[in-house]
Amino acid sequence: MTRSTDANITSADVGAMRRADEDELLPQLVAHLREHRTTLRQDWASRIQESGLLLAMTSQEMAAETTSVYDNYVEVLETGSVEALQRYARDLSERIIPRGVETHEVVGIVLLLRDVLARFLFDKYQRDFGLLNRVLDAYEPAANRIANTVAVSFVEERERVIRQQQDSIRELSTPVLPVRERLLILPIIGVLDSERARQLTEQLLTGIRTHRAKVVVIDITGVPDVDEAVANHLVQTVDASRLMGASVIITGLSPLIAQTLVTIGVDLSKMDTIGDLQGGLEEAERLLGYTVGRESSPASP
Amino acid sequence: MTTGPKLVSILRQGSYLIASIHTALDDTQMVRFQEDLVEQIGRYRSRGVIIDVAALDVLDSFGARTLRTIAEMARLRGAVTVIVGIQPDVAFAMVSLGMATGSVVTLLDLEEGLAFLDSRTQRNATSGRPALRTLSRGAP
Amino acid sequence: MVRRIVAARVQDGPTADDLVQETLVRVLAAAPRVEPGMLESYAIVTARNVVASLWRERDRHRRNQHRVVDLLPEQTHDDGLVAQEEQNAVVQALARLSERERDTLLAHEVSGQDTRSLAGEIGSTAGAVAAQLNRTRARLRVEYLLALDQAEPPTERCRPVLLALSSGDRRRQREVDAARHLLECDLCARLSEPLMERGQARDDEIRIPIHVDADIVAARQAARELASRLGFSKTDLTLIATAVSEVARNIVRFAGLGEIVVELLDQPRRGVRVVAMDTGPGIADVEQALADGYSTYQGLGLGLPGARRLMDEFAIMTEIGRGTTVTMTKWREER
Repeated sequence: MTRSTDANITSADVGAMRRADEDELLPQLVAHLREHRTTLRQDWASRIQESGLLLAMTSQEMAAETTSVYDNYVEVLETGSVEALQRYARDLSERIIPRGVETHEVVGIVLLLRDVLARFLFDKYQRDFGLLNRVLDAYEPAANRIANTVAVSFVEERERVIRQQQDSIRELSTPVLPVRERLLILPIIGVLDSERARQLTEQLLTGIRTHRAKVVVIDITGVPDVDEAVANHLVQTVDASRLMGASVIITGLSPLIAQTLVTIGVDLSKMDTIGDLQGGLEEAERLLGYTVGRESSPASP
Repeated sequence: MTTGPKLVSILRQGSYLIASIHTALDDTQMVRFQEDLVEQIGRYRSRGVIIDVAALDVLDSFGARTLRTIAEMARLRGAVTVIVGIQPDVAFAMVSLGMATGSVVTLLDLEEGLAFLDSRTQRNATSGRPALRTLSRGAP
Repeated sequence: MVRRIVAARVQDGPTADDLVQETLVRVLAAAPRVEPGMLESYAIVTARNVVASLWRERDRHRRNQHRVVDLLPEQTHDDGLVAQEEQNAVVQALARLSERERDTLLAHEVSGQDTRSLAGEIGSTAGAVAAQLNRTRARLRVEYLLALDQAEPPTERCRPVLLALSSGDRRRQREVDAARHLLECDLCARLSEPLMERGQARDDEIRIPIHVDADIVAARQAARELASRLGFSKTDLTLIATAVSEVARNIVRFAGLGEIVVELLDQPRRGVRVVAMDTGPGIADVEQALADGYSTYQGLGLGLPGARRLMDEFAIMTEIGRGTTVTMTKWREER
């Protein structure tokens, strides 16, 4: 395979290129892009600045990232494999998402690079329109694929971050608090959907084990309403806690939720419910004190 | 019952029997365990029985029923039964299944079980209270 | 290709032709044991072996011509008989294929003609030819096993079921209700073994035969292990294992014989499906069986209704005198 290393393509070169196998177009193109890396990358970086993209980055960071993206870009053109780029794009996204970089910025810079390189190709091959066409035929699909890959990687990474944040918020929203020895409080605030109810159950039951809890106070003052499935789940959680040897006191049961519980056939007389959290804590202390003080059996709920 | 590692162990400690299930049992083994345990309760005139199920990753309807039967038969022989060590996920599966352990007392672990039996067997003469914790639940 | 290899080593034409025939027969006889992609190279190796054994035989003839009794029988009598039976079975199996199936198969496997040129000849596409070849191989395996067993399928359902198993077509297997048929038909149950072995049971599916107490434990442990690959929470895994335990016990108690298939799903969401099938008497009153507290054995009466509560989806199909199939699914909570 012959490859021109001369920056100025002579007509002899062009002729050679025309004769060259279509398969050789991309390698030639890649070689040109490697050769003019410095100027093209600078050109691209200044276009990014002009467009007001990636303002969150310092100029050093910008230089480093644009160089990496450029090299990755050319590599994809060369190998046709987007895997390395995908990894890099995800890695890059992970770094820049916390700094507030938006999807349009990431897509924007990749499209700018595509344009910068396309201009360069125009300049280079303008003397031979047929060849230019074939070069663009080879370049465009690859370039579009790259833009696609970067955009998708970024969005996926962002979704992952959002999911992670949601998870931690969810965990925060159902804290299992060890108040004193063998007493747990579980204040639930906000809408209780199935997923959250499920998580709550797992946290409470493992919490009972790790804290060796004997009494649990579940405060649902902050829960507006529950559907029947969640109400059922709640009752199951209470029963499961008992199977693990912990008594459960429910405080802040609203009339609306009480109604739902009755509707699904829960015998409220078998649930230990107390008006407010304060009363619930007093009852819990009494249960524990009773147990500890009198050295006797746990009281029945 | 089998060769190889023991599936269950039954230890005598004073007037108590401490039975530990070490691995998943099939129904036949479970019934065999029930027979062995009940036989020993009678032989040693035990006053309290602790069954440790911490090693079980599933307690299905048959397993739960067998435990309940053991407790019933122990009661007829004058012994109190406590089940200890039900794992969090197993507990949740049991209630999801709609299972009741009847009047059997369930507690966190062996330590709790022993403390309970101590208080229980001391108070037995004065307190006529039935089982402390009942877990029957109406079908939804 | 086989012919080329053979011809290169054996001079006289008729012998070469015979050898090609024999090679083909050996290759096809081994087909149930050979991966499809391996057939060609297998054919080459077999051709060499056949030629080698011919040389050995000639050599022996030369050396032993003065003897009345061959002192070095190459094969024991039994081996020879087995090989003969296998060959007959292959010949019979080949005869049961249609002419077109046979021609295409031989052209591809023995003459080494590729699917594209075959497609050109019969005005089809390479993909279609490849698919047809796969079907033909599947049929050949079925017919070969039937011929070897010298059995005629007892029911009309046998062949479609065996074919579906042989081709590893899972959709088709469901359509013909293959799993149930295998419980009912001894012949197919026996023949299915070599067929399924070949199909390399998928690693996202487990089948557990249910017959005795210990199988209940085995089934729920297998289900838990498989489901854990989808990242279910520990609680969900225990729910699944408990549900499997309940339906498995039902099989042992009421039917005595059955099978549980645990399968990982991708569509429409990730999840695990449990199919519990038995050949028991069936359930006369399903509604009653699904009601809490209904129990005909010493349980808690929670078997079916309990399993239903543990899973996300639950369906039961039962036919008096034929058996019961419970299908239940748990979806992975996607977040």
